[in-house]
Amino acid sequence: MNARRRTTMFASAAVAAALLLSACAGDAEVTNEAEPAEPAEPAEASDQTICYITAANSHPYVTPANEGAQAAADAAGVELTIVSEEFSPQTGAEQLDSCVSRGVDGILLWPLDDNSYLPGLIRAEEEGIPVVAIDTTTGDESMELIQSFVGADKYDQGRISFDQLNEALNGEGGVIVLAGQAGNGTEIARSGGFMDALEASDSNLEILASVNADFDQQKALVASRDLLTRFGDQIDGVYAQDDTMAKGFQQALEESGLDISPVLIGINGERGAFESIKAGTQYSTIIQPPFRNGELAIETLIQVMNGEEVPAVVNLENTVVDESNVDDLEPAL
Amino acid sequence: MTRATVVAVGRLAVDYRLMIVLVAVSILGAVSVNDFVAFDTFQSVLNRATIVGLLALGLTPVLIARQIDLSVGSTLSMAGISTVMLQPMVGNVPAALLGLLVGVLIGAVNAAIVVWLRVSSLVTTLATLLIFASLALLLTGSRPVSSPDPRFGLGLTSELFVIFSPRSLLFVLAVVAMFVWLRYTPSGRRLYAVGSNPPAAASAGVNTNAYIASTFLISGLCSGAAGVIQALSTATGSPVAGAAMLIPAITAVVIGGTRLEGGRGSALATLGGVVALGALTAVLEFNGVPSYTQAIYTGLLLILLITLDRLVDGGGRKAVRTHGKTRAEVIPNPAVTRRKS
Amino acid sequence: MTQTIASPRARLREIVARLSVPGAIVVLLIIGSFVSPSFLSVGNLLNVLNANAAVGLVALGMTFVAVSGGLADLSVPANVAMGALITLGAQEAVGPIPAALLGFLVASLGGIINGLLIGYMRINPIIATLGTGFVLLGLSQLLVGGGIVYGEPSAIADAVSGSILGIPVFVWIFALTAAIMAPLLARTSFGRWTYAVGGNSVAAEASAVPVRFTKAAAFAMTGSLSGLCGVLIGLSNGQARPIIGTGYEFVAITAVVIGGTSLFGGNGSVLRTVGGVIAIALISNLIVLTGLPTQSTGLITGVIVITAVAVDVYFRRKEGRT
Repeated sequence: MNARRRTTMFASAAVAAALLLSACAGDAEVTNEAEPAEPAEPAEASDQTICYITAANSHPYVTPANEGAQAAADAAGVELTIVSEEFSPQTGAEQLDSCVSRGVDGILLWPLDDNSYLPGLIRAEEEGIPVVAIDTTTGDESMELIQSFVGADKYDQGRISFDQLNEALNGEGGVIVLAGQAGNGTEIARSGGFMDALEASDSNLEILASVNADFDQQKALVASRDLLTRFGDQIDGVYAQDDTMAKGFQQALEESGLDISPVLIGINGERGAFESIKAGTQYSTIIQPPFRNGELAIETLIQVMNGEEVPAVVNLENTVVDESNVDDLEPAL
Repeated sequence: MTRATVVAVGRLAVDYRLMIVLVAVSILGAVSVNDFVAFDTFQSVLNRATIVGLLALGLTPVLIARQIDLSVGSTLSMAGISTVMLQPMVGNVPAALLGLLVGVLIGAVNAAIVVWLRVSSLVTTLATLLIFASLALLLTGSRPVSSPDPRFGLGLTSELFVIFSPRSLLFVLAVVAMFVWLRYTPSGRRLYAVGSNPPAAASAGVNTNAYIASTFLISGLCSGAAGVIQALSTATGSPVAGAAMLIPAITAVVIGGTRLEGGRGSALATLGGVVALGALTAVLEFNGVPSYTQAIYTGLLLILLITLDRLVDGGGRKAVRTHGKTRAEVIPNPAVTRRKS
Repeated sequence: MTQTIASPRARLREIVARLSVPGAIVVLLIIGSFVSPSFLSVGNLLNVLNANAAVGLVALGMTFVAVSGGLADLSVPANVAMGALITLGAQEAVGPIPAALLGFLVASLGGIINGLLIGYMRINPIIATLGTGFVLLGLSQLLVGGGIVYGEPSAIADAVSGSILGIPVFVWIFALTAAIMAPLLARTSFGRWTYAVGGNSVAAEASAVPVRFTKAAAFAMTGSLSGLCGVLIGLSNGQARPIIGTGYEFVAITAVVIGGTSLFGGNGSVLRTVGGVIAIALISNLIVLTGLPTQSTGLITGVIVITAVAVDVYFRRKEGRT
C-alpha cells in the first residue's frame, strides 16, 4: 500500500474516531438559532419541537398544507422541522426513524402507504413520542399506533363523486376512471368509496377502464388520449380523482376534436377546476382546504403533546362545488 | 512558485476530499443543530445510508472494471417485491434468500448480454432498467405489496452496539469484505487491470470476460440485498422503490472518488461517499431545508468535487478509448496500473 | 471511403442497417392495423406523432450528444421544467411571447453550462449533467415555491395548441427542427466534426477539429431543445409544474438507440433518431390499443433496444469493424 493511501486511511479512521469520541460530550450545549421574535403572536415560548414528515416540499396541494402547519406551529411557539418524503414511503420511513432518534416531542406524519412506517411508529411509541397522521390514512396496524388522523374523508369523497356522476348521467352510461398513484392511501380510499357506492346502488353505470395517472396532468393527458381513441363516444362520464388529472383529460378531449361532452368529475377544488366549472367543461369538484388541514393537524398534535384528549379522527369538511355554487366559493388552491 | 503551491494544495484537497467534506458537514451540523454530533445521529445516518450504500457498493467493482450498471434500482425493486410476495408461500427466511437470488439472476442477465451479445453495459443496463422496472409494476399491479408478517424485519433498524443497527452492521461488513478483496487479493488487483487497460490485461492471460461478468453478479447481489433489507425493514414490497435510488447511488460513488472511466475506485471511498452524502442530507433535513434546495447543494457539491478532480489531475488521464498498441512496459503489474484511489 | 468491390455480406449489412428502422416502423404499422380498426386512422396516427413530438425535439439534440461520443445528457428534465415554468411564470411580467423566449434562453443557458463543463473542462458527461440537473431542477422548484404555475390564455398558446392544414403545430415544429438538424449533422463541417470527435477524438484533435467546441455545442443544443420542448408543453397545457420533464431523457436516449445510433459516437444520423421516435410512439400506442397494461411499455421497449443493438453489434463484428 503506498504511503499516501495509508495516510488517507488512517486519517479518515482518526476523524471517524474523533467524531465518535466527541459524541461522549454529546449533551454539551450548542446554541440553536433563535426564533425570530414575532411581536404580534401570543407565543408562549415552549421549547417543544415537532418533526413534520410531509409528502412534498413543492406540490400544489401539499405546499399550502405545509404553510398551514407552519402557521399553527408559529402561533403556538413550537419549533417545527419539516422534512419531505418526495412521495416515497421508503424515504418517509427512514425520516420517521431519524425523527425518533432526534428525540422530538411530537411527530406529524403524512403516510403514503400502508406498512412502511410501522417500524418507525413502534419505535416512536417506545420512546413516548406521539404521532398524528395528516391527510391520508395508513394500514390498520399502523393506525393503532397513531393518536389521531386529521384530514378529509377520502372514502366519502369517492362516494360523493359517484353520487354526482350517477345523478348527472341518470344511472346510465360508460365511465372511465383516472386514478391516482396505485397503492397510495388517497387513491385507495377514493377508488374504494366510488366502487362501493356503485355496487351498493342499482345504477347501470359501466366502468370502461380505470387508469393510474398518478395525480399528474401530463400522465392523465397521455392516458386520456389513448382512452379517447379506444372508447371514443362510449365515454359518458369521467371520474378523475383530482382536478389536475381532470385538466389532463380536458386537454386530450379538446385535441381529439371529438364531439362528445362527458360529465367530468374532479376533486381538490383547484382554481383551474373552478374556471372549468364556470365554462361548463367540468361538472363538479370537492374542496378540501389544504391550509386548514395543516393548521388543524398541528393544533391536534400539540393538544396530544400537552396531554389532552383528542378524537381519533378529525375530518375536514367535504364541500361539493358545481355550477350552482361555483361563484360563491373560493378555490382551495 | 505560487503555481506549484496552488497545485499542491489542490492535490491535497482532492486526496483528502472525503475527509474535508465529512469534517465540514460535521461542523455545519454541530453549529446548526442541537446534539448533532452524537452517537444517535451517527447510528441514524449510517442506518439510513445502508440501502443506497449497498447499491453504491455493488456499483464500485462495476465501475472499476470500466462498466456501468444503471439497473441497480430496478434490481432493488424486483428483489424487494419478490421477497414480500414469496413470504406467504415459503416462509420469511427462504423468501429473503430467494429475493437475493433474484438480484443475482438479474445481474446474470446483465452479464450475459454484455459478455455474450457484446452490447455495451450502458445500453444493456439502460434496457434492463426499463425491463425490470416494468416487470415489477406488472407483477404487483402497480401497487405496493404488504407483507403478511410485518414484525419479522422490524429488528433490522433497531440499535445494535450503540452506533450500528443490524442492517448497517451488515453493510459495513460487506464494505470491509469488498475492500479486502479489491485491495489484498490477486483477483481484486486483476480487476483494476481489467478496468484500466483491457487489452493489456487480456494479453497477459486474464480472462477479462469472466471478471466483467462477475462484477455484474456482484452488483446484482448487492442490489438484491438492498432490496431485501429494505422490503423487510418496511414490511412492504414496492415496485418503484428503486427508481429513485439510482441517482443517489451514483452520486455517492462519485463523491467517494471512484471514477466513471474505470481502473480506479475503492470500497472505503464508496463508504466515505455514502456517509458524506447521508450526513449532508441529515444536516440539511434537521435544518428544515426543503428537498429542492438540498438537491441544489448536492449538485453543486458534485460539480465542485469533479471539477477539482479534473483540474488537479489535468492531462493525466487522456481517454484511453483509442485502443492503442500494447506497450511492453504496461504488462500488468497491478501495482503500477492501479493508481491511488 | 466506399469500397468499389463490396462483399455480399457487407452489402447485406448495409441494406439491413439502412432499412432496419423504416422496416421496423412498417412492421409496427402492419401489426397495428390488425390489432385495432382505429389504428390506421389519420386521427390516431396524428395523435401518435403529436404525443411524441415534444420529446422528439429532445431526442434530436440527444443525437448530436450521442454522435459526438457524449454518452447522454441527464439534465434534460431540468431544462424542460425550466423552459415551461419560466414561460408561464414570466408571462405576467413581460408578456407571453417574451416570456417564452426567456424560458428558451434560460434553458439554453443550462445547456451551455453543460457544454462548458463537458467540452472545455472535460468532465464526464454523466456526472456533469447529473450535477447541473440537480441544481437547475432544484432552482426551478425554488422559484415556483411549490405551486402550479398557471399561464394566461394568449394568442401564442392557442397557436401552439392548434393545427395547420390539419396537422398539429407540435408536429410541424418537430418536422421543421428535424429538417434543419439532419443536414446540419450530415452535410456541414460542424456535422463532420461531430462524427470525427465521436469516432476518434485523438485523431480529430490532430486534424485541427475544434474538439472542445464540438462537444460543448452538442450539449448546448440539447439544452436549448429541451427548453423548447418545455416552452411548447407549458404553453399548450396552460399550466406547469417542476416534474413536467421527468423521464424525458430516457425516452430520448431510447429513441436514439433504437434508431441505430451508438451512444459512444462516430455513427448515426438525425433521420435514424426520427425513426426511433416514431417507433417508440407507435409501440406505446399499440400497447394501449391492444389493451395491454401501460406498465408493459418499459418491458417491450427494453427488449427491442437490446435486440436492435445486439443485431447491430453482430453485423459490425462480422465485418470486423468492432
